[in-house]
Amino acid sequence: MNVPEVVEYARGLKHVAFADEGKWSCSVDYLAKIKEAIKEHNLNRVVIASCTPRTHEPLFKQTVKEAGLNPYLLEFVSIREQDSWVHMGEPERATQKAKDLIKMGVAKAIFLEEGEEIRLPVQTDCLVIGGGVAGMSAALQIADQGFQTILVEREPKLGGLLNRVSTVSHDHGVMPAPEIVRVKATLVESHPNINVYTDTEIESLQGYIGNYKVKLKTNGKSSEEALDISTIIVATGMKELEPTGQYEYGSDSRVITQLELEELLRGMSGNSEPLYGTVSNRSLLKVKDVVMINCVNSKNETRGCCNIGCSISVKNALALKKLQPDLQIHILYRDLSMVKEEHFHLDEAKAAGIKFIRFPDDHYPQLVKEDGRFVIRVYDILLGKELEIPSDMLVLTTAFKGNETVGQIKGYLKVSANSDGFFQEAHVKLGPVDFPSAGISLSGCAKSPKNFKESCEEGMAAAMRVSIPMKKGYIEAEGIVADIDLTDCSKCSLCYKNCPFSAIQLDENKQPSVIKALCKGCGLCAADCPKECITIVHYSDEQLLAQVEAALEESPEKKILGFVCHWCALGGVDMAGVSRLQYPSNARLIRVMCSARVPIKLIERAFELGAAGVLVVGCEFPTCHYITGNYACEARMNRAKKKLSKKGVDPDKLWVDWCSAADGPKFANIMRDMVKQLNLG
Amino acid sequence: MSEPILIIGGGVAGINCALNVANYGTKVYLVDDTPSIGGMMARLDKTFPTNDCSICIEAPLMYEVHNHSNIEILTNTEVRRVRKTNGMFKVRLVKKAKFIDEEKCTGCRACMDACPASLPDEMDGKIGGMRKLISMAFPQAVPNKVYINPDCRYGRMRNKGACVGGCVVDCSQCRECPIALCVAACKKEGKDAVRLWQSNKNIDLEVKSIVVATGIKDAPAPPGLHGYDVYDNVITNIQFERLMNAGGPTTGRIVRPSDKKYAHKIAWIQCAGRGLAQGLPYCSKVCCMIAAKQTIITKEHDSSVETLIFYNDLKAYGKGFWGFYQKAKEKGVRYIKARPYDVSEDPATKNLTIRYEDLETGELKKEEVELLVLSTGLIPSNRNQNLAKVLNIELDHLGFFKERDPLMAPLATNVKGIYLCGGATGPIDISESVVQACAAGMKAILTN
Ligand SMILES: Cc1cc2nc3c(=O)[nH]c(=O)nc-3n(C[C@H](O)[C@H](O)[C@H](O)COP(=O)(O)OP(=O)(O)OC[C@H]3O[C@@H](n4cnc5c(N)ncnc54)[C@H](O)[C@@H]3O)c2cc1C
Ligand SMILES: Cc1cc2nc3c(=O)[nH]c(=O)nc-3n(C[C@H](O)[C@H](O)[C@H](O)COP(=O)(O)OP(=O)(O)OC[C@H]3O[C@@H](n4cnc5c(N)ncnc54)[C@H](O)[C@@H]3O)c2cc1C
Ligand code: SF4
Ligand code: SF4
Repeated sequence: MNVPEVVEYARGLKHVAFADEGKWSCSVDYLAKIKEAIKEHNLNRVVIASCTPRTHEPLFKQTVKEAGLNPYLLEFVSIREQDSWVHMGEPERATQKAKDLIKMGVAKAIFLEEGEEIRLPVQTDCLVIGGGVAGMSAALQIADQGFQTILVEREPKLGGLLNRVSTVSHDHGVMPAPEIVRVKATLVESHPNINVYTDTEIESLQGYIGNYKVKLKTNGKSSEEALDISTIIVATGMKELEPTGQYEYGSDSRVITQLELEELLRGMSGNSEPLYGTVSNRSLLKVKDVVMINCVNSKNETRGCCNIGCSISVKNALALKKLQPDLQIHILYRDLSMVKEEHFHLDEAKAAGIKFIRFPDDHYPQLVKEDGRFVIRVYDILLGKELEIPSDMLVLTTAFKGNETVGQIKGYLKVSANSDGFFQEAHVKLGPVDFPSAGISLSGCAKSPKNFKESCEEGMAAAMRVSIPMKKGYIEAEGIVADIDLTDCSKCSLCYKNCPFSAIQLDENKQPSVIKALCKGCGLCAADCPKECITIVHYSDEQLLAQVEAALEESPEKKILGFVCHWCALGGVDMAGVSRLQYPSNARLIRVMCSARVPIKLIERAFELGAAGVLVVGCEFPTCHYITGNYACEARMNRAKKKLSKKGVDPDKLWVDWCSAADGPKFANIMRDMVKQLNLG
Repeated sequence: MSEPILIIGGGVAGINCALNVANYGTKVYLVDDTPSIGGMMARLDKTFPTNDCSICIEAPLMYEVHNHSNIEILTNTEVRRVRKTNGMFKVRLVKKAKFIDEEKCTGCRACMDACPASLPDEMDGKIGGMRKLISMAFPQAVPNKVYINPDCRYGRMRNKGACVGGCVVDCSQCRECPIALCVAACKKEGKDAVRLWQSNKNIDLEVKSIVVATGIKDAPAPPGLHGYDVYDNVITNIQFERLMNAGGPTTGRIVRPSDKKYAHKIAWIQCAGRGLAQGLPYCSKVCCMIAAKQTIITKEHDSSVETLIFYNDLKAYGKGFWGFYQKAKEKGVRYIKARPYDVSEDPATKNLTIRYEDLETGELKKEEVELLVLSTGLIPSNRNQNLAKVLNIELDHLGFFKERDPLMAPLATNVKGIYLCGGATGPIDISESVVQACAAGMKAILTN
């Protein structure tokens, strides 16, 4: 492109006091020059037209700040990735596009306002709900930093599942569960910074990070005063899904679950009395033929693999064999989900004479009673025939679920859980122990069934996550936040319901307000507010509208107005740039943080101004930096199309698509397709 | 608690660990011995079990690390020596020359355009990926700077078309290079960032704790296994991953190495080599889900492509994994419980015939496919041996780092103050790596 011409054009734009060309504007020398220019010309807004904000915006923000200007007064225009690199064969059009893009940037810059990071103070009191190994591990890490930790356990004793389990096996060995609990519980109970409340439940809980008020109920008695809590870790564990009615469980005492077997084994080893004592009087020693059925209630339409059942069955079979070497044990399974080196246990079990029978996914074993005696009928895949196995003890490896307090906690914390009562983490991969709202974390089997070591690690990880704001003493949000003007608010609560981060609270009169430090600035609330009460600082309607109008000032009939989200869509655009994919130059893109920011009225406005087409691109599903923004955008765009057709605009002129940050080719194709279908060629 | 922490390995585990520790207020040195941070995830296409695009979710974290005032990234850097005195680790790092002045390089890639010589890429070579002698690790590399293949400088690339191939002077003797095209290209852009005479640099640090996050590697297929390296159209699952990736050498077109034509029928062999002398003696945990992912994406690219997976035990261990497998089945992926025992090629079509024993029926069957993918599993980083020696910590018999007491002190090694996370502990998925990264970060902070 003709850069001097573009600079000349920029210089001539209204409100522009200074324009300059720098070959490498991010080089140290040129950054110094930018600072000088700001001071010398007393500039109060800065527009940088260069590569891409995804990589370089922080650098220029910092530069502007060093020159004494508020960093929110900077606007970034991408003329390399979006222009010179992708329209290499048409320098004139590229030059024209650069002019437009800069004009749009200036138009927005005029409306930019100073912004600031918003802080919310956070103290150092942490509440851990659940005193299993996950909760105990979390509490220890937090307390070791000198932070006050309140550990609430509704049972009389710390330890959770491990108070019923006999031994804990891992890749290469086993360790008695009571021993583990003893060591861990002693550390917890003797820690000066941990207050343990057993026999205690949460009576009430409200607030948000830094500002929780919690009331406890110990042995049925409510605490007088509410505790002030800053952060919370949920470690409420899981329980077995009772297989009532299946294989006569509940009606015939010879049918038990793995956990009940653990309790029996625990009693046998003389380690300790089973805590709950549901199965105590049966003597294991009389048993001769044990059959275990794995995947009971697991791996079907509604429920996945229970993750630990295979290992538990093998471990318990080995323990039984040790007690009684002449015992016959059959483990009936579908797949043996034993990973890494857990197959050592498997080899050991096979060597000990434990028989493994694989049955088909859709053909579970059956229990038949003959004269009161059990016979298990199972089709053995590997042998290819049906077998009958006598049994006097049937052990069911059943699925797991969250406990009955999950519903209550979900409500208190405004978080979600799946149909089995396992809490939903913020991001399956990158936020595995986070909840969407800051200051609350999740760990252990409360999230999903897992083994002991993983539960401990999640406890430690959750401690890390909540310790950051406690150590800093605050949480901070970028200046891009929502701001509600209540003048026209109809108290519909839509914003409160829709905010993915629970950043909007309602007072007694249902008046919403934004807890700024929790707001991530996605703009979902603003775009959906029926009364247009909500402004997003730095991405206000006014600013976006100015960009739309600037983009469509000249020859709108040739132009495609695009809205792209900062994270993935712009990533795809940048990828097309870096890969030098050539596509038509008709688009003028406007960056929004999330596709959910794009309000219908801006799209309508673009068509009023004569745009040939409008494009909205968000993150490919299910990825969204703001959890569900793209879903919200999709729903809104469907509404937008209906509205457009009512107004007589061809709804096919509105293109909605989804890109990943690697989707350079896809973005280039969208451009080509649009130009073709809209006859802009 | 304010002394700095060293994190070795800049994959998703090291990155997350660094961000947590740095946000806590502790200074972090993040060291990776390759030219960019990012690790395996930077090369993946989508990620199970949700099929989030890998680089989309990792790159923002990489930029965050880059811009974090508490984090110093040291790429192309090895840990050479570590001594513990008075509870502190004295660390000697060696920053290997990239032959670029990283302060001056703006990542404009003019030099890459100018460089006349390409070599097959280490990861993508088999599927046609080439890499210039001066190149960037991948488009989103952090730092976004180029590096030069050290061999370019010693005349070793003479017959590969390197522009300095004919030069007889050792680069380290010259302060100006009149021949190298990259040098000229960079100067023409108004910069002067190429430094063919750059030497390695020692860096000394003192840190209170160390987190080892050296990750995993994809296991190479042993030559000959199911026709690998004998027949063109047998590839490994990482190679397939790169084929699917819009950022890979085929820009996401799933084509066969032999004729670059779209493959219409593709088979995966799970646990390839398991039980054989050359194969892995353990379950790599993630390959079942990788195959499910790869088949789902293949079907999403083109639903008419036939996909089959030969497997034995399905490992759908994690949250949402079973549903993910169900999704693959709904899309028409054929799961066959089988033991494949031999693969042969039709020399005319380059198609492959797999003969296998169907474990459900006991029958011997065969299946002809156009492309065969071997799920070879995950192995330790090949630099673990060396690093274990330097750090004086133990490896397990497989070459992963050993935890002193996995149950009572997870992630701690036999040296106080050195912790592990991610693939350094064994085969693992991203989510678990991030959990361990946070946990190890906590432990590292609490070391005093
Ligand atoms: C039969 C069986 C055998 C196992 N064997 C092994 C093995 O061999 N090896 C291995 O590694 N792993 C094994 N595990 C898994 C291991 O036990 C778990 O990973 C671990 O115990 C989970 O710890 P947790 O803290 O997450 O949950 P839990 O142990 O369930 O603890 C949760 C705690 O929270 C409390 N709580 C719940 N709700 C509330 C509330 N609202 N208010 C207050 N308190 C609350 C509960 O009372 C409980 O004490 C086994 C599990 C089972 C079921
Ligand atoms: C084909 C394939 C597909 C996959 N798909 C998925 C998926 O869909 N979902 C999922 O959850 N997981 C997937 N995985 C697994 C995932 O890649 C790993 O869980 C993850 O990369 C582990 O992260 P890490 O940071 O521990 O290790 P890595 O990503 O391996 O990073 C380790 C880093 O350490 C550096 N390093 C190594 N040794 C040294 C040393 N001595 N000194 C300095 N630096 C060093 C390396 O250069 C590297 O940058 C897949 C793996 C493969 C092979
Ligand atoms: S902008 Fe997004 S995060 Fe902020 S209050 Fe609105 S919906 Fe919530
Ligand atoms: S030409 Fe110079 S500045 Fe550009 S990428 Fe190459 S070395 Fe860096």
